[in-house]
Amino acid sequence: MARIDLQDVCLDYPLYGAYDFSLKRRLLGRLFRQSSEMRTIRAIDSISIDAKAGARIGLAGPNGSGKSTLLRLIAGVFPATSGKVEISGNIVPLLGLGAGVNLDFVAADNISLLLRISGRKPTPAILEEIWAFTELEERMQRLPLRMFSSGMLMRVLFATATAFPADILLLDEWLSVVDENFSAKAEQRLRKMVETAAIVIIASHDHALLRRTCNSIINLDHGRIASTVALDAPVPHHLELREISA
Amino acid sequence: MIRIEPPMMVLNQPPAPRPSVLHIFKVYYPDLFGGTLTVIRDICASLKDTFNAAVLVCSRSGGERQIVVNDVAVERVHSFGDVLSLPAAPTYPWRLWRRIAEHDLLALHAPFPLADLVFAFGLGHTRPLVVHWHADIVSHAALRFLVEPMMRRTLRRASAIIVSDPVLVETTPLLQEFSDKCHAVPFGVDVEKYDRPAAQGDDVNARGRLVLACGRLVPYKGFDVLVRSAHARNFEVWIVGEGREREHLEQLIRDYGLQDRVRLLGSVSESERVKLMRIADVFVMPSVTNAETFGLVQLEAMAASRPIVNTALDTGVPHVARHGLEAITVPPGDPTALADAIETLINDPERRRRMGQAARHRALTKYSTTAFKEGVETVYRKVVSEEAAAKDAGSLAPAPRPQTAGLIGAIQIAGALAWSDVRHRYVRSLLGPFWMSIQMAIMVAVLGSVIGHLSNASAVARLPMLAASLTAWTFLNSVVLDATTALQGSASLIKDRALPPVIFLLQCTFRQALFAAHNAVVPLVLWLALTPRDIGGAIAALPGLVLFVVSALGVSLVLGALATRYRDIKPIIESSLTLAFLASPIIWTPEMIDRGSTVMRLNPLTHLFAVWRDPLASGHVAMTSVIYVLACLAALAAAAVVTITQLRKAAFWI
Repeated sequence: MARIDLQDVCLDYPLYGAYDFSLKRRLLGRLFRQSSEMRTIRAIDSISIDAKAGARIGLAGPNGSGKSTLLRLIAGVFPATSGKVEISGNIVPLLGLGAGVNLDFVAADNISLLLRISGRKPTPAILEEIWAFTELEERMQRLPLRMFSSGMLMRVLFATATAFPADILLLDEWLSVVDENFSAKAEQRLRKMVETAAIVIIASHDHALLRRTCNSIINLDHGRIASTVALDAPVPHHLELREISA
Repeated sequence: MIRIEPPMMVLNQPPAPRPSVLHIFKVYYPDLFGGTLTVIRDICASLKDTFNAAVLVCSRSGGERQIVVNDVAVERVHSFGDVLSLPAAPTYPWRLWRRIAEHDLLALHAPFPLADLVFAFGLGHTRPLVVHWHADIVSHAALRFLVEPMMRRTLRRASAIIVSDPVLVETTPLLQEFSDKCHAVPFGVDVEKYDRPAAQGDDVNARGRLVLACGRLVPYKGFDVLVRSAHARNFEVWIVGEGREREHLEQLIRDYGLQDRVRLLGSVSESERVKLMRIADVFVMPSVTNAETFGLVQLEAMAASRPIVNTALDTGVPHVARHGLEAITVPPGDPTALADAIETLINDPERRRRMGQAARHRALTKYSTTAFKEGVETVYRKVVSEEAAAKDAGSLAPAPRPQTAGLIGAIQIAGALAWSDVRHRYVRSLLGPFWMSIQMAIMVAVLGSVIGHLSNASAVARLPMLAASLTAWTFLNSVVLDATTALQGSASLIKDRALPPVIFLLQCTFRQALFAAHNAVVPLVLWLALTPRDIGGAIAALPGLVLFVVSALGVSLVLGALATRYRDIKPIIESSLTLAFLASPIIWTPEMIDRGSTVMRLNPLTHLFAVWRDPLASGHVAMTSVIYVLACLAALAAAAVVTITQLRKAAFWI
């Protein structure tokens, strides 16, 4: 059963590069009794979240409030500095579509590699299914991604990233999928994926989007939970909501 | 809650009308006849409406590879004969692996360690497996420690285990571990086949001295005990079957002077066997080990209304025909007790008749073919439907399927990435895969000629070693250089896809190993062309080469992490590598360098090259080098462990 349990989790982000902590400075610092402590920034400040299956959590907040860092912490990219992190379930982090893509490879190779990276075996049937979703011509599978327009590229990457459902789905910004025709299809697929995933966490600036997909919204500010808004079941008529929130 | 909805990833498979089962065993008709084969044949035949059957076995007859036996496709893998009761068919595991994907269900007829090999390595985990447990491994007990872990893995992976009698689960330690998966499905016998022709009246031969036994002539069947028991008695013994014990039994019969009363009939057709069962007075199953789990032939004899003499094994044997009711059960391997039991029956026609009737009744009621068919079918269906359900659920909540977690998953992903790197290295190249080899060849040619001028020894003779050293050095050098930038180069995968950073350090070694394999063409060709091709030396060099590669991996892990954390390490590493190249005996041959030089002696690279180069050149290696390398490796291993724990923070560094 999927579950995310964070208790008083803090994350101090070390700021390498922003300060000089070379050997020279450390030795001299000790000599002049300067604190040789490493400079860090508290990116996440005692956050507690307990999400069970069915949770749809929206993370809102200004830039730099810790939304992405929190998602990465849940995904296991960053270790927590303190606090308890317990996660069960298979996590699919969709934090950036472009990760692992090589534009010089042909589309089919890219898809195979991306599937392998997510621990899946790329069988011809799965490749077929993914390609059907992109609505691109068959022969384009054999073209390097370099030759694709950004819209076409997005289709391929999106179709690959969402080919398999997840227990825990982490989304950084609702993936903006350009192309008019495709975006309806993409939104439908993503919506379906959100429905089938046990837990979804979305970080976005778009409040309207969060309201129509989530059942609770966490507002972050400087790494702290500023407020938590519990919403009723997501309302399907999102157009109305959009007007109200506008 | 996870909603049960149709899976998102619907693969366009037409609904198969009948799921297909692959029966996996060591041998099949027409190469051999026997109880297990009868069972497989009966399963195939009786389930033919619900399951498509195929059989994959070994065969030493060298006939057609694909044959059809009783409407069942049988694929036979060539075997060179039997080694330790196992067919020596080296390609069987490979064939099995290739066939697995074509079927919906795998039915392994155990024991068959060749197939266990496939399952123990985790291959074929995509298909559900049912193990028909025919027998434990009893012969070659000394080798059991090798086979048992594999059998355990197979059973662990199996969805269900079918045994012929519940007592087997209690008496077999290995099955006890998996008792919850075991299903007891007793074999069935078609009683009608043994009906007497109406014309024949009396059931019991008044003269009553014909004793029948059937089975392959193999030691566990205990036919030697039966032959001995006939000594100094007056009954006749006919033994049906063929096998490697024949000569031994013939010798025994001659030794006891029993030629007139004991006959080895060899293989007979099934109808002939049915006739023999009908005319025999007593049926004997003298098996001596627990390899005899059920005794299908005694069931056939029961169907033919014969009284049975069997042995008190820890298996189903004494439960199928029970002492005092359908059989007299004697201790295994005891000729006197066996002879006494046979004589008791011979001398008592009334008892023979009573027991024969009881036996037929039991065969009819307890061991019907319908019950067997339904039992097997229920298990098969359950396993197939569970798998289908798991597959559906798997595409909804694929918790166990993606293997990003764990070291195995990391290695797999690193391997996939490295393989992709190699494949795409040539994407826009002119010369294709071997431009690297050509580069290496040029390097060896130029350096070789230079060194040839430096020293008076023959430059040509030294070329293979020079090429091998350069290949190895290029590998080490590239692995370390690659590792220093690997994590930064894969920042997006680490941060956005949450892949463990260690993958990308492993990737460097894998990728460079693949490149080195290309470069290795040059030393290989030179070695084949210019040296006496001493295979022994090459084999002796392999352990050293493994040490070399493992060291490269360890160094790349540690330096790769350090160089990402402290950015000034990378230039230091670069200049150190150049220095190391010059200060190590890479292009210098062992004779050219002064081994006494302190730098040379302390330089770990000297020894790292020596552990594989010295065996290649002279067949032996200095102990100091081995110890030095092992000590370095131990230190590296410790550093690598620390590195891997620290790598959790790698996302901060990039």
